[in-house]
Amino acid sequence: MTVAARNPSEERLLAYAAGTLSPPEAVVVAAHLALRPANDAWVRRLQSVGGEFLETTRPADLSDGALARAMARIETDAGEARVPPPLNDMAELPEPLRRYALGPWRWIGPGMRVRDVHAPRDGNCRVILLKIDPGRETPRHTHGGVELTCVLSGAYATETERFGVGDLEEADEDVLHRPRVVSDEPCLCVVALDGQIQLDGWLGRLMQPFVRL
Amino acid sequence: MHVEAPSFASPEQRVGVMSDEAEGALEHDRLIEAVALRRDREAFARLFEHFAPRLKAWLMKSGATAAAAEDFAQDAMLTVWRKADLFDARKARAATWIFTIARNRRLDMLRRDARALPTPEIEPTEDEAMRPDAILAMADDARRVREALSRLKPDQIEVLRLAFFMDSPHSEIAQRLDLPLGTVKSRIRNAMIKLRTILEPSEEASR
Repeated sequence: MTVAARNPSEERLLAYAAGTLSPPEAVVVAAHLALRPANDAWVRRLQSVGGEFLETTRPADLSDGALARAMARIETDAGEARVPPPLNDMAELPEPLRRYALGPWRWIGPGMRVRDVHAPRDGNCRVILLKIDPGRETPRHTHGGVELTCVLSGAYATETERFGVGDLEEADEDVLHRPRVVSDEPCLCVVALDGQIQLDGWLGRLMQPFVRL
Repeated sequence: MHVEAPSFASPEQRVGVMSDEAEGALEHDRLIEAVALRRDREAFARLFEHFAPRLKAWLMKSGATAAAAEDFAQDAMLTVWRKADLFDARKARAATWIFTIARNRRLDMLRRDARALPTPEIEPTEDEAMRPDAILAMADDARRVREALSRLKPDQIEVLRLAFFMDSPHSEIAQRLDLPLGTVKSRIRNAMIKLRTILEPSEEASR
């Protein structure tokens, strides 16, 4: 079903709601939810399922003096600075991405730029912004690991799907694709990328040594 | 690794205690508000006695030691004390709010373990402007969620519970239940689809 393909899978939304999704993937899903209120509402409802599970879980015994320790802690608690980090320089980003520091734009090919999002990594998995000019096609490529992409502006199309603002694409090792930007404006995406993109084809092999994503 | 019997009460058990539970949940909402408004220590102590043992149980299910799980419960309850003023009973009831606090804490722990670069504390569930759809989603959610869960099969509830409580990917759930990975995945998927059809019958078409 094509609509489902542009939404996170149920398993991924569940993992996000439960807080078990890897941090880079959680950043991309948070951006998606900011652009898709219906999915955001569903995640909130899943969290109330989590609340119900917490409420009905069989309580564990606390150690002796646990309550006294908690009361002593709140007496001496100086609170917590709630000063959020400064906003970054891209006002066009959805709110969940505004407070991550961003690296410089880097050229990675004709009409293609990336910039690092200094969000938490998970092993080799990290978050990047990818900006591709209208009509540009990225070299046909496969992925080293799971890749999550959320479109922030513009649109791209693969062999089978069109992805517009807010759409989320889940690609894994089995997916071989060649996204092409189909909007009049450049297409800006936030991507959780695991490992290197393996470029494929003669152009890809030619470019591979120069492309460090 | 030991396997705990699901502690979720059956629908029959629930009917009789429903009103008490509803009152208990409302009371927890009031207690958090008392902490927010008056820094009410007695209210905090009662919240602690109710939720800390449950938070500890949750972490122990995810594989933490008793000591680590208790530290987690202590830290999460300290966050409840600090952030009580962000609680909004119209958005989420007490158990859900405390669940999201613990969930964010756990995510932060994962981040710290993972060679953390600067980690902005972003909690979109807490202080963003309330959107009408979010209010609707939360309205009366405790009763609806409870009813929806009572219509799932016990094995579906079991995998959902584990998916919420374990840090792990589905492979660990499969190991714990001694089931093939594919079975666990399809069971979770079916449970989610069932939940969605019960909780959001009208929105199914718009997805």
